[in-house]
Amino acid sequence: MKNQSFYAKRIQPLVFMAAVTIVCILLTAALHLSTLDLVKANEQFFLRRSVLDAAAITHDGQPMAVSALYEDLVSEQDGQYSVRTADGKRRYVVESTGPGLWGPITIMIGFEENLQTLAGVAIVSQNETPGLGARIEEPWFTAQFAGKNGPFRLVEEGTASAPDEIDAITGATRTSESFRNIMNRVIAESGNISRGQ
Amino acid sequence: MAASKLKKTFLAPLGKDNPVFVQILGICSTLAVTNKLENTMVMTLGVMFTTALSSWTLSVMRKWIPSRIRMMVETMIIATYVIIVDIALKAYYPEMWKQLGPYVGLIITNCIVMGRIEAFALQNKPMLSLVDGLASGMGYAYVLLIIAFFRELLGTGSLWGYQILGSWWTNWSIMIMPPGGFFMLAIFIWIVREAILKEGHHE
Repeated sequence: MKNQSFYAKRIQPLVFMAAVTIVCILLTAALHLSTLDLVKANEQFFLRRSVLDAAAITHDGQPMAVSALYEDLVSEQDGQYSVRTADGKRRYVVESTGPGLWGPITIMIGFEENLQTLAGVAIVSQNETPGLGARIEEPWFTAQFAGKNGPFRLVEEGTASAPDEIDAITGATRTSESFRNIMNRVIAESGNISRGQ
Repeated sequence: MAASKLKKTFLAPLGKDNPVFVQILGICSTLAVTNKLENTMVMTLGVMFTTALSSWTLSVMRKWIPSRIRMMVETMIIATYVIIVDIALKAYYPEMWKQLGPYVGLIITNCIVMGRIEAFALQNKPMLSLVDGLASGMGYAYVLLIIAFFRELLGTGSLWGYQILGSWWTNWSIMIMPPGGFFMLAIFIWIVREAILKEGHHE
């Protein structure tokens, strides 16, 4: 070991590490670029699906059908979505983000034409605890808001009865509160949504 | 001779040399991802893929890696395989990718991966290292799946997202929270070591 040459001791490890790094980067970069279109398509699909869900438009969840429905019914302007319904009315969908327990929660909130009654709510992204806070993604939770005006109060899971009461999620009080806060803020500001003449 | 060594290499991580309940490695992810069976399955498949292939790769390279930088090389190779898992999930299984969030990236820090490379792959031939890595991943996987089975069933009354227990069942929310992971893991290790490995009963 003592007689290791300068090359073997200093240069060769550097060259070796550099070579390994380059190979690894090329590999991952190639994979990243080759799947980029697919990843973008996935993101667009999730976004479009959440707009349709928030506007309470029923769909079968298939990417092709969601895309077709979206392009037929939705027009977007300044981050607001205006959705045509079957009976010729319009629903308005806005995106909103607020702090959750672990990270931001982003949701789509749909209003009826009067801008007061909720048509639906859909989750765009969240990082809440799987099995607890992440249950805000479950249909029973988001379905609670449809047809109501808010602002909302949280009550114990399974006990909501009045129109302003929402079942919180047991074991996820903080997430439920964050979600309620986002909802109530958007409801308070719903008058600002432009109907886009 | 060769076949018996192969068999031994394959069976040890599944039983008496199990990474989780004997070596107590990879505990952090054992606690983090075992509250839903489906997430656990995807996560453990990712770990199996990573341990198997990074063990194989480093075993192929073992004669050329300068020993003073070997850990940097190991980390680089492991990270590459983990990023491959992450990108593949993001592109082909996006719903699962959204749910697992940062946990996939954290496979890099799973001690089992680097542990098997340091302890085995750097001294053994590539094929044997591949088997060792795969078996270690499987030894990790089945323990996590057993724990996840009980946590999801007791915590939510469902399995793989399907409701199993009726409305009479009160969910044990603690099971899907972090403490539930500690309880289940401790009970599991206790049962296995007492009943199957018979530790502390040396005649």
